[in-house]
Amino acid sequence: MSTGMTALLLALVAMLGNAEYLLGTTMLSRPLVMGMLTGLVMGDLKTGIIMGGTLELAFLGTFSIGASIPPEAISGTVLGTAFAISAGESPSVALTLALPIASLVLIVKNLGFIFVFPTFVHKADQYAEEANHRGIDMMNLLSGFFAINLPIGLVVGISYYLGGGKIEGLLNMIPEFVTSGLEIATGLLPAYGFALLLNMMINKRNVVFFLLGFALIAYFGIDVTGVAILSTILAFILTGYSAFNGAEMSPADAAPVVSEETEGGIDYDSEEF
Amino acid sequence: MTAKNSNILTKNDLMRVFWRSFTMEWAWNYERQMNMGFCYSLIPALNKIYKTDEERSDAYKRHLEFFNITPWISTFPMGIAIALEEQNAAEKDFDTSTINNIKIALMGPLSGIGDSFFWGTLRVIATGIGTSLALKGNILGPILFLLIFNIPALLARYFGLKWGYELGSSFIDTILHSGLMDRLTYGASVIGLAVVGAMTASMVNLNIPLTLGSGEEAQTVTDLFNGIVPSVLPLLFTFIILYLVKKEVKAHWILLLMVFLGIFGAYTGILG
Repeated sequence: MSTGMTALLLALVAMLGNAEYLLGTTMLSRPLVMGMLTGLVMGDLKTGIIMGGTLELAFLGTFSIGASIPPEAISGTVLGTAFAISAGESPSVALTLALPIASLVLIVKNLGFIFVFPTFVHKADQYAEEANHRGIDMMNLLSGFFAINLPIGLVVGISYYLGGGKIEGLLNMIPEFVTSGLEIATGLLPAYGFALLLNMMINKRNVVFFLLGFALIAYFGIDVTGVAILSTILAFILTGYSAFNGAEMSPADAAPVVSEETEGGIDYDSEEF
Repeated sequence: MTAKNSNILTKNDLMRVFWRSFTMEWAWNYERQMNMGFCYSLIPALNKIYKTDEERSDAYKRHLEFFNITPWISTFPMGIAIALEEQNAAEKDFDTSTINNIKIALMGPLSGIGDSFFWGTLRVIATGIGTSLALKGNILGPILFLLIFNIPALLARYFGLKWGYELGSSFIDTILHSGLMDRLTYGASVIGLAVVGAMTASMVNLNIPLTLGSGEEAQTVTDLFNGIVPSVLPLLFTFIILYLVKKEVKAHWILLLMVFLGIFGAYTGILG
């Protein structure tokens, strides 16, 4: 198979990996799966699976929870495994190539997040204004493709075509402050989402509850779930919860509001309140 | 669960929401995270519930607001939101802000449970079995990895929608007929805001490692601020952004400002 053809197939493998997010977050992007598919493309399935297993352990800590974006394990695995197989090297060579590539593609990904996504998000708002649901559908489906999926495919395909040495040279050219600067920026970006939420929700009557949630984390170091549970209890107290009033509403009926706190003995004093 | 007169959705409509929910993280963005995925998933239901462009536009906008959750259980708040939307269509004086407040209130606790189950437990089991086989070159490694993870994940996605919808339909009925709606709205906003406050403290990262003083006395600017109120820098930063949002500064400028701050801060060493 020609280098160009292999590069194209590897790009498609990487894009399938990232399409995990289109297909129900099904773990397709994990090195275990990417390694296997890369091995298949490179004509050495068994080595691909072994390298996938090795890289899976290396990337074990990288997954996205909440607002964190992990190093890009897909391109690291596909390129690391492909270079290692084509050079007849061991899994550890795949590993030394995979980690810097993963950081490089994280930069590409962040550029997509910062410069490409906002356009689609705001276009979707505009379609919502016009009650154009097909427009919203398009924005949802196209944004991920153009901002993240296609760039990953291009980086993987072009990198394989150019070869390992050129990629390392490119990695060394990017100044340190750009890389860490984008990392700092991704720590700031969630503030925009929260500001939009606050803009919608906050008023003089309820601003203290925002500060309460903040202070609970800042001073007591509990997690967001803990804050949710405590504020649920507070919400019950503030809305007239009392264990000693009559039971117009059975606990089972009240249960859906929150799960655990309503078990046993919680009654609303409903109509007469 | 008994069907009530405002139930206009069929099982088929819910199945369309189910399939669409697979795209939940595809359009994940920093600004509003899973907003497009959530709205996209709900569109078949919203179109069935609302017939005029005006109502539809309002509903789309409602569900394009910020949302984030463990993706495999995203269908649970979707089910509840759909039930609330049905109620909104049926009752003239329904307070629509309740819908987003309830979504936001559910986000934190559900993600806490979801993340620890799916990431902390299920993935560890699947990876453990998958990797041990893969390291021997066995093709069952990746295959078992996918099956062990995805079968429970699919079940959670399916039953999440079903239970969320049934729960939403039944409890909203009870609440409306017992006059609890105002208190539910207020209570949901208490929880919602506390969760946003908690997320501001834990997810916005702003660190100023510049040192003041020297030797034993040296401390960073972050330490200085944290000595007054912990995590106060992210809080102030979020308020500054809120101010810009209120001034209707365009999103692009706010995002570019953050990128500039990051790169400038890294170059000068002010931020870290």
